[in-house]
Order: sequence, then C-alpha cells, then structure tokens
Amino acid sequence: MKKGKEGARLSMVELKNVSVTYASSGVDALNNVSLKINDGDFAFVVGSSGAGKSTMIKLILKEIDATSGSVIVNGYNLDKLKRRKIPEFRRTIGFVFQDFRLIPSMTVYENVAFVLRVIDAPRKYIRKRVPYVISLVGLQAKANSYPNELSGGEKQRVAIARALVNDPKLIIADEPTGNIDPELSYEIVELLKGINECGTTILMVTHEHDLVRHFGGRIINITQGEVVFDEVIGGANEV
Amino acid sequence: MKFSGIKYLVEQGIDNVWKNRMMAFASFCVLLVSLLLVGLSVLAYYNVNSIIGGIESKNEVIVYLEDGTNDAALEEIGKKLEAMANVTEASFYSKEEAFESLKSSMAEYEVLFESLGDDNPLVDAYRLKVRDIGEISNTIAQIEQMEHIYSIRAPYDFVNILLQLRTILTWVMGAIIFAMIIVSMVIISNTTKASVFARREEIQIMKYVGATNAFIRLPFFVEGMVTGFLAGCSALVITWLLYDALVGILQDQVALLSIIGMGSIIQFSEIYIKVTLAYVLGGALIGALGSVICTRRHINV
Repeated sequence: MKKGKEGARLSMVELKNVSVTYASSGVDALNNVSLKINDGDFAFVVGSSGAGKSTMIKLILKEIDATSGSVIVNGYNLDKLKRRKIPEFRRTIGFVFQDFRLIPSMTVYENVAFVLRVIDAPRKYIRKRVPYVISLVGLQAKANSYPNELSGGEKQRVAIARALVNDPKLIIADEPTGNIDPELSYEIVELLKGINECGTTILMVTHEHDLVRHFGGRIINITQGEVVFDEVIGGANEV
Repeated sequence: MKFSGIKYLVEQGIDNVWKNRMMAFASFCVLLVSLLLVGLSVLAYYNVNSIIGGIESKNEVIVYLEDGTNDAALEEIGKKLEAMANVTEASFYSKEEAFESLKSSMAEYEVLFESLGDDNPLVDAYRLKVRDIGEISNTIAQIEQMEHIYSIRAPYDFVNILLQLRTILTWVMGAIIFAMIIVSMVIISNTTKASVFARREEIQIMKYVGATNAFIRLPFFVEGMVTGFLAGCSALVITWLLYDALVGILQDQVALLSIIGMGSIIQFSEIYIKVTLAYVLGGALIGALGSVICTRRHINV
C-alpha cells in the first residue's frame, strides 16, 4: 500500500464540496459532496435510483464537470484537465458497466486487447498480457468467442478483464452485478475483491444491499445528492 | 502513433466493412446511386454542350474590305486578324472568288453578269472563325477600329439564339446537377448517420478506455473510404456500359445531327480517365469524410 510522506495513504478519488446541477433540467444531482477514497480501498457506493450515484461516476470519468467544487482522481485535477488530456487520464482507470459494453464485432481476446492497442502497446506485450488476464477471469476457453456467444456472467468477466488489462490504479464498477444471476454476483464481487487485494482501488456502485451486507467494507450511501452514510462495516462472510 | 498502430487501425477499418456489412451495403448503394445521379447528369450536360458547340464552330464572321485596298494592306489586315485572341481562323476571300461563286449560284442571271463585262462590283473579304461566340461583339468592335474596313457581317441573331440556348441549358442542367448533389448529400448523410448511430456505443466504449479521437476516427475513415471506393468503381462500370449502349443507340441520330452542323456525342474513350478519377476519388472522399463527420456527434463523451 502506498504511503504519503506523513504515513497517510494517498487519495485516489477526492471530491471537495462538489455540487452538480444539470442545466437542462435544473435538477441538483449532487449537493456539496465531500469524499475521499484512498489508494488501495474497496468501497461500495449505494443509494436508490436517482440518488446521484451515476452523476458521481460521470464526474469521476470526466464525462461531466462539477458545477462547483473540485474533483481529483489519481492525481488529475479534473476541473483543470484539458479536453485533449482526457484520453490519457482515462487510460489510468478501468471501467466495468452493468450492461458490459463489449464491442460486439470483436472477440473476447480483441475486446481485451483493444485497451492495449489504444495505448499503442507493443504487439509482443499484447500477445503475452491478454491471454494472462483472460485466464485470471477464467475465460481462456472463450478467448475467440464473440460477446453474443457468452452468458451474462461471462460477459462481465470479459469486462473485468478489459478493465484490468492495462493494470489501472482504479477500477470503477457501475452496477456490475445488475444484469447477472444472484449467485454469479458473488463470484463477480469475489473477483473484484481479489483484484483489490493486489493493490487496485475499487469503487463499486450497487443497489444490492444483500451483496454489500455479505462482503462488508467501506459503504458510502448517497441519498438525494448527499452522502448520508460513510462507514466501514463488517461483512457476513467475516463472521 | 507507431506504424504498427496505424496498420492495426487501417486493418480494423477494412475488417469493419465486412463486420458491419448490412450498413456498409446500405452506404454503398446510396453512394452508388448518388454518384450515378450526379455523374450521368454531368455527362449529359457535357454532351448537349458538345452538340451545341458543333453549331457554334460553324459560325462565320465576314470582314469586307474597302475597294482598292492594296496587297500590302491586305496582308497586314490578315496578320492582325489572325493575331486576335478570339479568332481561330482567318482566310482571305478575294472579290474574284466571290464573283465566281455568285455567278455559279445565280446561273439564271447569266445575262446580267455578262452585261457587267470585266467590272466586279464585289470587294475583297476575310472569313473568320471565332473561338467564343459570346465575345463576338467585342471582336467586331476591335476589327472596326482597323483601317480599310468596309463592313462586317456577323450572324448576330444566330449568335443570340445560341447564347440564349446555352444559358438556358447551363441553368437547367446546373439546377439538375445541383439538385442531384443536394439529394445525394442528404441521403448519404442520413445513411452514414444511421450507420454511425448504430455503432455509437462502440465509439463510447473506445472513449471510455482512453482512445483519442484520431484513434476512433481512422477506422471509420478507412471504412467509409473503402465503401466509397467500391461504390465509385461500380458507378464507373455501370456508367461505361450505359454510356456505350446509349451511344450505340444514338449513333444514327447523331450522324444526322452532324449533317445540319451540330457537334457529336463525346465517346467514352475520350473521357474515361476524367470519369474514372471523378468517380473513384469522389466516391472514396465522400465516403471517408461522411463517416468521419458523422462520428463527431458521438465522439464527445
């Protein structure tokens, strides 16, 4: 785990008094939110639909800008980040989405390799790294399959492999278990926990309270655009 | 970006044509129809212009010279006329030749001509062919400034009719070509938008994993270019076959037109290089730019 000069862990995501108001609708999606997620943390972000979870994810991805306050992710001050620097910033983050978002015309191997091609990685490295990451999520036998030939759980594993292949410091998982069977949900979170144990910060948005109760850890509850709960709780699997 | 990266993106663009074959086929058909609409309209315009141009080249301006103009002056006038920018040909027509020609064309008045004896009432002249009949008034005005000019005869009415015909033709054909270009642009734009819209998620995914705009656009550029190139080649083959078939059918009518002084239809062999370049380059360029422009809306994620 990385330590600061004073021994404190470095922050991976930091929101300081962030508010977001959508100009088109006038809705206040986030209201004066301050939050810090340290390097190496695993945090669940929970909240009901429309609470502001997605807005927070969009902020962290630099998909939208804060109306006020500042957002710092992996050392990048997103308020001051120039548009042409956004690709460089996003390469330091892995994403896992509820709807998998795999490129349908690419095989499992190509989907995962695509991230490395984006950063112009050497072919030799791609040939070595991609099969390794695919094996980590247990899909070596499906490397040449297309997304439409995979189950929901397998698609999400591919999405995790894609998020992981570039060795990011932060992985954002937005409802990664939303479209898969409940029993597979536990496997997916186990997989993310395993990645976290290797040092990657994980921020997982979910509304599945059973899952959160089962695994425990840091829980951030957002309600009506405000952080109403931010505590570390023990999980059922720790009992 | 490394060469291997560019090679990968170009390969992706070519692969995408097959992977997205339904949309690529739709784009191909739209581009093909558009290229044919515009191409055939332009070819029709050039041919009608060529036919009218034939009549234009037959027009003649006759410059009559003052009686008694000496040989040196005649020669000097001839040189000046030939040196004029709008004159393509200046041939001397002596008063003796003119008199003989008149006598042969009016044989029934032989008695009248005999009564004249050696007197020749006609004058020497120059017959001119002009390059651009639209400039004929200026040309005549310049000739009038010369010495020893008796009078000038020019087919003003004929020239005016031709000029009006050419103007109408240019406007009508121009409007048709313009309409075809607009129609083509609208259908190409809509088809390309639909094609790109179907893949907007793919573009967003690329953005999320940190792809630059150039990285996303290059395969779309190549894909559009390949589709446009194929449409251009197909349009060329169709135009060639259609054109040759039409020329074959119209051959006799065209021969008849040439008798009354009209020009001929342009043979495909005379223009195939221009047509090939226009179709192939035009198709590839429209396809490539259309794809890239349409990605812009989805690229700002």
